[in-house]
Amino acid sequence: MSTTQSEPDVAAHHAPSWRAGLIAGSPALFGIGAWGMVVGVAMVKSGLSVWQALGMTLLVFAGSAQLASLPLIAAGAPVWVIFLTAVVVNLRFVIFSALLAPHFAQLTLRQRFLLGYGAGDMTTAMFLQKYPSEKPEAGKVSYLKGLLYPNWAAWQVGSIAGVLLGSTVPPEWGLGFAGTLAIVCITVPMVASRPALAGVVVAAAVSVLAYDMPYKLGLLVAVIVGMLTAMVVEEWLERRKAATDV
Amino acid sequence: MSDLEIWLTIIALAAATAVTRCSFWMVGEHVTIPTRVQEMLRYAPSCALAAIIGPDLLLDAQGGAEFSFHNYKLIAGLAAIAYYLARRNMLETIVFGMACFTALRLLLT
Repeated sequence: MSTTQSEPDVAAHHAPSWRAGLIAGSPALFGIGAWGMVVGVAMVKSGLSVWQALGMTLLVFAGSAQLASLPLIAAGAPVWVIFLTAVVVNLRFVIFSALLAPHFAQLTLRQRFLLGYGAGDMTTAMFLQKYPSEKPEAGKVSYLKGLLYPNWAAWQVGSIAGVLLGSTVPPEWGLGFAGTLAIVCITVPMVASRPALAGVVVAAAVSVLAYDMPYKLGLLVAVIVGMLTAMVVEEWLERRKAATDV
Repeated sequence: MSDLEIWLTIIALAAATAVTRCSFWMVGEHVTIPTRVQEMLRYAPSCALAAIIGPDLLLDAQGGAEFSFHNYKLIAGLAAIAYYLARRNMLETIVFGMACFTALRLLLT
């Protein structure tokens, strides 16, 4: 790829940035591995075979979407419902990709696809912390890779260990419940405002009431009703605030 | 589900990762998402996750809602939420929640 003086080569390997990425990402690796292990255990405990679980962790590489799919797979929901559920759970990545992609517009299509595929929550957050500006800078790709590769490896090692460990633990231990607890831990910090709380409570209630809907559609109905509730509450709070400000 | 159906599901899940994570990378240019859409994108994941937790904690094996001391998952789940709010640590919360669940299961059955 040709570059001019005014535009630094974002893609060229830049050793100091690569090392900086490795160092910045390393404290989180233990947590990533442990979280991967929980998902690994949950996959085999929900009825996937060891090979299916290994295939899922290697191909899907998205913990919360994997956890979300497990009860649906166990209930025999249609593939398109599981796909839509995973897309909804993954929607935050659309925002992440909109934030990350402009930094790497110079890369080839294949490189962009692979880096995008591998950039999960932690990688995105830490990259944007270091590079808030989109302007091209040497070492950006090296820094991203320094975060991304170890993150991927820690996740896979933890997850594979969880799959192998989980298949040896008796079902009465109820280890699959660890998956539910993990989802609780991802959800709670997302509920940072009153509209979000309203949305989450309504979505949970609707999902229980609509549980018997055909094709497990209750879940998607719950998401839509919850999301609309959150937006209505937000609107209402803003209007009330505007009214008291006047 | 049959083995084939599960593999198809896994491929569909991989596609769900690709369409979301790679979306704007494939466009390659600067794109601004309208505020309204951003709000929707922000609220949807927490609602989806809550909709998964809800039936997991509240429904028994027969699919009926169960609000009682015999619903160990509900009690352990609520205890785990309280623990997470206090400590903000995922691994500790999972261990704590599993300990509550296991204690209830062993003591009350």
